Amino acid sequence: MSNHDSRSTSSTIPPTPGTLPPPSVAPAPRVGMDPRPHAPEGWAPPVAPNRPAEPTEGQETVTLTIDGKEVTVAKGTNVLEASGLLGEEVCHFCYHQGLSIAASCRQCLVEIEKMGKLQPSCQVPVAEGMVVHTSSPTVLKARREMLEFTLKNHPIDCPICDKAGECTLQRHYMAHDHQLTRVDVPKIRKPKHKDIGREIVLDAERCILCSRCVRFCEEIPGTAELTMSWRGDHEQIDIADGHRLDNAYSINTVDICPVGALTAKDFRFAIRAWELHATPTTCNGCATGCAVELHTKHEQAYRVVPRFDPAVNGHWMCDEGRYTYKELDPQARVHRAEVDGATVPLADAIATVATRLTKARKLAVVFSSSATNEANDALRELAEVLATSVKGREGITATRYVLGHPRGEGDAILRDADKNPNTNGAHDAAAGSAGDVDKHEAELALELAGRAYDAVLFLDDSGELSEVALAGLANITSVCLASRRTPLSSACSIVLPAASWAEILGTYTNRQGLLRVVQPAWRPEHDRKHRADLLRDLMLAMGLRNVATAKERTRLLADEHEHAELQALVTDPKAMRPTLLRWANMRG
Amino acid sequence: MTISVKKVSLQRTTRDQIFLPAILEGLLTTARHFFKNTFTPGHGDVETIRYGEPGVDVKDYYPERFRGVHRLMHREDGSVRCVACMCCSTVCPARCIYIEAEDRRDDAEKAPRSFVIDELKCVVCGFCVEACPCDAIRMDTREHWIPTETRAEAVLGKVELMSRGEQSVAVQGGLGASYREQAPKADPRFTHDPR
Ligand code: SF4
Ligand code: SF4
Ligand code: SF4
Ligand code: SF4
Ligand code: FES
Repeated sequence: MSNHDSRSTSSTIPPTPGTLPPPSVAPAPRVGMDPRPHAPEGWAPPVAPNRPAEPTEGQETVTLTIDGKEVTVAKGTNVLEASGLLGEEVCHFCYHQGLSIAASCRQCLVEIEKMGKLQPSCQVPVAEGMVVHTSSPTVLKARREMLEFTLKNHPIDCPICDKAGECTLQRHYMAHDHQLTRVDVPKIRKPKHKDIGREIVLDAERCILCSRCVRFCEEIPGTAELTMSWRGDHEQIDIADGHRLDNAYSINTVDICPVGALTAKDFRFAIRAWELHATPTTCNGCATGCAVELHTKHEQAYRVVPRFDPAVNGHWMCDEGRYTYKELDPQARVHRAEVDGATVPLADAIATVATRLTKARKLAVVFSSSATNEANDALRELAEVLATSVKGREGITATRYVLGHPRGEGDAILRDADKNPNTNGAHDAAAGSAGDVDKHEAELALELAGRAYDAVLFLDDSGELSEVALAGLANITSVCLASRRTPLSSACSIVLPAASWAEILGTYTNRQGLLRVVQPAWRPEHDRKHRADLLRDLMLAMGLRNVATAKERTRLLADEHEHAELQALVTDPKAMRPTLLRWANMRG
Repeated sequence: MTISVKKVSLQRTTRDQIFLPAILEGLLTTARHFFKNTFTPGHGDVETIRYGEPGVDVKDYYPERFRGVHRLMHREDGSVRCVACMCCSTVCPARCIYIEAEDRRDDAEKAPRSFVIDELKCVVCGFCVEACPCDAIRMDTREHWIPTETRAEAVLGKVELMSRGEQSVAVQGGLGASYREQAPKADPRFTHDPR
């Protein structure tokens, strides 16, 4: 699941066997300030002061009996988490691992011997020798009756409710209640489709008043926009007068809402949850590299949702990162190679690039902080190959740049100001064995505008260059490994079709130096290929042999970082198959 | 795991093995029907429907629950009743229903922007009708799908499907009292402006 590798890295991949020896280039002085992202001072992943369940070494433990089975857990664990360890999920609404405990829904009632009444298991800490029954007749009856209360005013809007298919209430109803309504009085009406924020629509009727969203806004972004208003049957979630739910993490409330009371405007009515396939991957939005799931259907992405990772993002992710899937827009994809505006077969384009690059006299290679470690490493290798003189060709030392998305807004929770997922990896590769990164973005733009080069190779299509700089690309050999049409890729004279981050297995090095894994949600169609494989083709076309494939580079990285999950993915491609959400039951 | 094989021996009598008696029995049945239907006045109990003959309406002969061409039902205001819940397109074994949802921007919230059924792919199972929670799709038109000259003509869109439809009298949201109609209107504190 998560990547616990906490070594700070020198994540350059060792030179692959069979390539030319690295040339000796004097290290150039680093220009400007340190471009690498760093987590803020004292930053820790936003994980709740947690309910430890499995005891770690040296922790005090407690042994108790749950449904006749003995279990040993860390002291301070609550009964709900402890029975989760035994694989017996106690049905609950208001408890969330990443938030404080409210114990307001009473759905998690269990029987504990020597305690008079049924107890909310989410709130009761384990005690030595405790005997718990989670499915005695009394508990089952209580569970069913609590559900009946919850459903009393529920509108049962499932046909138009975005949560249907992944709704906790639906699931619990099917598993524990499953009876017709006995309510014959009118239901209480509350506001429906109420616009409460930039990203969020509220349906107060569907709300089961678990207060998860209220606690989230208080505890994670600390903005506390949501509150409960009215009392009793009329109690509802609301925003304070004159305020809106506009914090940078607001869509997390949609994820944790056990019902469809809070829905995201972006995903609203787009598709039904059960039609989606989920691929565990890493967010491309910034240097934090949150663990996420990409939800797709038929080679089209519909949303990005966070995946639990205690080492990086806990249960959360920011709103900005959720929109990274828009980059995968099928309309903007590059499918085939283009040379001087004409579509050509990939092999021809590669041959053209090989000829033109070897003829170049002043060459620049642009590493990309939004491309994977594998791709950046392949570019490092290519630069080294070009720098080596072989028979019939003088070696040419390329100037190395790192380009990426421009900086944005950051905060001390998750968002980093560096809006690239792999700045660390790109700088490591660009520095490589040959010294330091030569130049930085601003200078690249200046020099392109001044026609300083007759050949430039861009590893990725992202990055903002001035119009003058882009105009400077038109008349020189400018190659872009592009997965989509951007001003940059459109300005280049040669475009090689590269697979996007939703189509490849690859790694990023995040700001903590952790290796983050992206996995393919679908296979690259048409001529699209992993950037490292495109560069490999290029090196093969230049007469090299035994160049590592993208997969071999990933394997090397996995071994170097002893990343078991990644090793498994490389060995067994079946492990990368996306899961159909229909079988995933519920989220939130 | 072991696989056990169960052997069943067929009990065939000599009569079964020579086949002839069975064949003759069959012929006799055919002959009996032939004579009865040809020579009895009024064609006996013949069930053959004479398509195309004047005065013969095929629909009169269809069983009550005959599944014909789909139609989409209307709301009271004539708009489409379907709420694009995708239950029908999910259950459809032929995968021939294609729906895109949109926001209606009124209290019903959700409606199909496009609703397409490919009648050529449809296997006329009726699952879509069974699955619909809103009585929005029906197959009670008693209309046979008529062969078309092009495939495109057999792909029905929302407008065509609605042109066969009519207002449904079912309560939206299912059987029983509609809480929407019965909601207390008297207490102004609890009636909210929806937007
Ligand atoms: S919240 Fe769940 S039970 Fe309620 S309408 Fe939505 S899907 Fe149905
Ligand atoms: S809106 Fe959702 S998360 Fe918030 S209290 Fe209601 S049910 Fe819970
Ligand atoms: S009748 Fe069966 S095959 Fe035809 S549209 Fe309905 S569900 Fe699909
Ligand atoms: S099941 Fe009924 S309401 Fe749902 S999409 Fe199909 S026709 Fe529309
Ligand atoms: S989960 Fe325990 S009371 Fe809600």
